[in-house]
Amino acid sequence: MNEGLISFLSQFDGHKAFVKMISDFAGTDATSTISFFIYLAACLAVVGVMATIGGLGTYAERKISADLQARQGPNRVGPFGLLQMLADGVKMILKEDIIPSAADKPMFIMAPMLCIVGVFGSLAVVPFSSGFILSDLNVGVFYLLGISSLVGVGIFIGGYSSNSKWSMLGGMRGASQIISYEIPVTLSIIAIVVLSGGMSFGTLIGGQGGFPHEWYILHNPFTFIAFFVYFIGALAETNRAPFDLPEAESELVSGYHTEYTGMRFAFFALAEYIEVFVVCGVAAALFFGGWKVPFDLGTGEAFSALPPIIAKNIGQILQLGSFFTKTLLLYYVVIWIRWTLPRLRVDQLMTLCWKYLTPIALFNLIMIAVWAYAFDGKSMFELFTAMGSGSTGGH
Amino acid sequence: MFDSVLFLLSAILIVVGSLGVLFIKENIMHACVALLTALFGVAGAYAVLGADFLAATQLVVYVGGVVILMLFAVMLTGGGAANENKFGIEKIPAMGNVKTYIIAGVNVLVISLVVIKIMANVMQDYKAVALPAYESTVEKLGTLLVTDHVLAFEVSSILLLGALVGAAVIARPIGSTK
Repeated sequence: MNEGLISFLSQFDGHKAFVKMISDFAGTDATSTISFFIYLAACLAVVGVMATIGGLGTYAERKISADLQARQGPNRVGPFGLLQMLADGVKMILKEDIIPSAADKPMFIMAPMLCIVGVFGSLAVVPFSSGFILSDLNVGVFYLLGISSLVGVGIFIGGYSSNSKWSMLGGMRGASQIISYEIPVTLSIIAIVVLSGGMSFGTLIGGQGGFPHEWYILHNPFTFIAFFVYFIGALAETNRAPFDLPEAESELVSGYHTEYTGMRFAFFALAEYIEVFVVCGVAAALFFGGWKVPFDLGTGEAFSALPPIIAKNIGQILQLGSFFTKTLLLYYVVIWIRWTLPRLRVDQLMTLCWKYLTPIALFNLIMIAVWAYAFDGKSMFELFTAMGSGSTGGH
Repeated sequence: MFDSVLFLLSAILIVVGSLGVLFIKENIMHACVALLTALFGVAGAYAVLGADFLAATQLVVYVGGVVILMLFAVMLTGGGAANENKFGIEKIPAMGNVKTYIIAGVNVLVISLVVIKIMANVMQDYKAVALPAYESTVEKLGTLLVTDHVLAFEVSSILLLGALVGAAVIARPIGSTK
């Protein structure tokens, strides 16, 4: 149905032979059944890896904040304290599951699940490499925006159902913040969509190259601004500092998850850390060339001396490395910002969104459309080289 | 097989969610969440029909925007069980008396006649066929929106402008002349 994992696998003889063997054995065409099981395995792998990254995110957060504040951070459990998240997980599971007696019970239980579903649903289109993407939907970015808005509903319902003033205020702030900042974020994404001419991550990354001057962030001055608008908006959408007003501990105790304990609280925390990974991955894919590797090493053609399956998979591993490097560097920046900047006030938050980011994003969108029309979608670098070679620019 | 499973799941979501909207009386927030379920199911139904863009739009507009705004509005006006006497649905006189039932019945009759008139053409020469091969709908929708249906497109933006002006008028303090 769509490009993705199966179309990558089905180019190998081994996969075809395996499908044929099972089909002969079962007596029917087993292609779709095998695809189903491959997807199942891949989904389980992605969810497992992402949950681990979410857990390691809490570790990274503490370790980096400790670095910035000249402290040690967690260093008791395992080497360098790396197993801290397992200790935390055991603690969370063993804790008593308290549901306040005046809480709205079904919605109280549903809220953390909505958050987790929204985040894990968005993982379906995150492009880890050219072959390893669960589904390269035609409307990839758009789907991601839609499904991740479930997180906002989850936060809001969590705040409402706890029947506590702190939670209520936190949930209200969370919802208004997420709705507001969705506008500049979406406008920035649309600007890149205009430039690349498609909403699937395959098209978006395909328009870029392995080197920085081929990335969309350095495509023209307006995409450079669009990245920062996107990044600020994404920080606000994931409720990260300096926009962590929904859980501002100095005024709201802990915001929308004040009343949550044990695993339900862990779900909220996990959803937040995985969502940060997802928005960083989207930023890497849209602005930093995603899984593109320099010199086209990612296609595996450079290793043509090796058998094709090995060569392709070396390429895939390089692509995975490229994607994860970029994403985790952005992840570091997100944590770094959290421990550097003070929190905004509510009115400053809304002013920043509606009076600054939204007009800038609109202006950017128009200017990028004009650029794409006037210069035929050519980047600054291409225009520069065209000038050097004495031809007549991009027309 | 996969399509059937997806269709069944979406259908169950739509039916359960819609029934929830109708029959959950004690807490309007729960009804809102039931509406969320139904709208999610509609997105699934679009996906079954291969309308990928429409499915994603359904998620963005309804799940991300409309339902959150409805929850917001309910919360600001007080939708909890404790506020039933103050804001509960039964206490609003315009709702649920003989007059409104008659008006609603007439409306349902008119609308269903119109819908049946439209559907009749489709249903008369209906044959059970397999769904067409999957293809992207984004380009077709985009082309149609700015060629054949450009009037509807522009008129809907005027509707939004009207809504904006209305909101500004309502939000302005009473008696202010500035």
